[in-house]
Amino acid sequence: MNIHEYQAKKILAQYGINVPKGAIAYTPSEAKRVAQKLSSRGPWMLKAQIQAGARATGHFIDHDAGGKGGIRLVTQITNIPYETSQMLNNTLVTNQTDEKGRLVTKVYVETHEETKSSFYVSMIIDNIIPAITLLISDVANENIVHLAQHQKDKILRLNLQYDQGISDEQIYKILDFLSLDKVYLRSFHDFLGKLLFTFINLDAQMIEINPVGILPDKTLIALDAKINFDDNALFRHPDIVRIHEDFEEKSRYRKAKTCGFQYHEFDGNIGCIVNGEGLALEAMDIIKSKGYLTACSLNVKGGVDKDKIAAGIKIIMSNPRIEGVFINIIGGFVRCNLIADGILEASKDVGLTVPLVVRFEGTNKNEAMSILEQSNLHIIFAENADEAVDKLLAKMEIND
Amino acid sequence: MAILANKNSRVLIQGITGTQATFHVKRSLEGGTNIIAGTSPGHGGEEHLGVPVFNNVREAQRRFAFDASVLFVPAMATKNAVREAVEAEIGLIVSIASGVPVHDMLEIRSMLKGSKTLMIGPNTPGIITPGEARLGIFPDNIHKKGKIGIISRSSTLTYEAVLQTNKAELGQSTVIGLGDDMIIGTDFRELIKKFMDDDETSAVVLVGKADNMYEQLAAEYYASLTNKKPIVAFVAGEALPFGHTMGYAVDIITHGRVTVSDKKRIMREAGIIVVDRMNQVHESLLNLKL
Repeated sequence: MNIHEYQAKKILAQYGINVPKGAIAYTPSEAKRVAQKLSSRGPWMLKAQIQAGARATGHFIDHDAGGKGGIRLVTQITNIPYETSQMLNNTLVTNQTDEKGRLVTKVYVETHEETKSSFYVSMIIDNIIPAITLLISDVANENIVHLAQHQKDKILRLNLQYDQGISDEQIYKILDFLSLDKVYLRSFHDFLGKLLFTFINLDAQMIEINPVGILPDKTLIALDAKINFDDNALFRHPDIVRIHEDFEEKSRYRKAKTCGFQYHEFDGNIGCIVNGEGLALEAMDIIKSKGYLTACSLNVKGGVDKDKIAAGIKIIMSNPRIEGVFINIIGGFVRCNLIADGILEASKDVGLTVPLVVRFEGTNKNEAMSILEQSNLHIIFAENADEAVDKLLAKMEIND
Repeated sequence: MAILANKNSRVLIQGITGTQATFHVKRSLEGGTNIIAGTSPGHGGEEHLGVPVFNNVREAQRRFAFDASVLFVPAMATKNAVREAVEAEIGLIVSIASGVPVHDMLEIRSMLKGSKTLMIGPNTPGIITPGEARLGIFPDNIHKKGKIGIISRSSTLTYEAVLQTNKAELGQSTVIGLGDDMIIGTDFRELIKKFMDDDETSAVVLVGKADNMYEQLAAEYYASLTNKKPIVAFVAGEALPFGHTMGYAVDIITHGRVTVSDKKRIMREAGIIVVDRMNQVHESLLNLKL
């Protein structure tokens, strides 16, 4: 689960990490008001709140947004409403979004901090070692991925022990890497120690501060913040779940999540219901190889509750893009007969208006087939995934 | 011989009285799996599905010795269940639950380090040696005894791979789901090694996925082997777009973005036979003339 920069900074501040003073604004006049409150003479930073990085070098696709990106330095208070209005309700595309970009619905106003220098810090779980890995680079901009590929020595990687924190030896290594004097030992220890504590305490999967600024008094400040939480550990963090609740997340995604299923939307017109991520990927691959694209994919893995399965199928059926549905279930834990019951249940509520091809294999396959055969629904059966997609496409073409 | 589990393996079920455990353990027992005991807190002294139940692993261990334990406990209880099994020095753990927190897996992996236990999963259908042992939740009507070893990082594509080996009329020696999660107990390498040493296995089918680096590690390991059996591999996720990302750290950790095409190329360079579609696996196996 991702959160916005302003929410991440609030969390970091609660853990004692220094962040610039800031407030969120939903309108240009609100932006001016909060800017005046934060500082009487500026300058200020205006930061578009979307859950993706590279905002400074991103561009708005709307003509009325001016030529600038999603992070702006403003020196005159009178310019704040104008600059804010260029960003609000416009769509920002960066190299971390897809080409459709993200709609900016709120702007974070901050005091601008004068820093001596800045650098990149992140903590992430390296799943192969496995360990929490600290990544440091003095290149605090978007070239960092290029460095990761081509100049690996420009990024310092340190594995942190879950129970041991960060040692002085590791801090000295970092200072040496950044060509900084040893007098920074205390401020680095303080900053990185608190960051690791936050990471462990909140079951984070990634915290990225790009960049960290070094202030004239030698302390460190988080000028940006991204935190990604482990969805599977949210049961331990009701406070974070509450943050997430103010999000304008698409309702189909939300419904799927409530049922405990994974749901993703893409650009095509075929809906897929599968049990397992691998099957979902395979279905997308097959559909693409035949010149079509997937509209959405619902993974009912682990589903053993008929009502939840029915609710999940309804999510797919209610997607207006859908022109055909492909259900591919290889029953193991998930039982085919429950899926068949779910199909019946969902079709009672929302009808079955598009072609549906079903492929069942594994646990309770025969029960499932007979449930569907005895229903009045027009369901096409297939023996394997390839055949199923062929049959579905043939049927969709007739409907055209 | 098959690997990891056979008809003589003495199996413990942790969390045996749950609904899902009951459904699947019953099927495993009917298939001849040598399940000799189960645990379930508060149910010690009872009998379930004809199997004696203990409150915990330690109590069960006073009566029996175990070669393997299958964990049917929920995700949030997995860490403690693994600890019990590791402390009891059970050689093999299969963890079925999906949704184990990543930080719990960090702790679990440090428990496993230097222990006598090999862990498969979490989020796996388990291990099956057809006709001998079913440790997990595999569909029970698709497996046939034979000579292809299967290792898969995707639960349900494991079953697709099984069907492919059936289509080639070669059957399976042992089938293992590594688990779908980001951090897993065991990766491809250790199991490739076991299959290479197994007399009953003539070739291996490997099923990979788009994310993480496990396929690259498998390729590197396979390239380093002398005297090896063929591997046929399929990697799912070619059509998955590299869409929205949050931050750079994910790309840094993998040394840049690795696509499914990259993975396939790396595997081919290592001498692995890589097919583009799952339904080509059986042809590739037949071409090997095993």
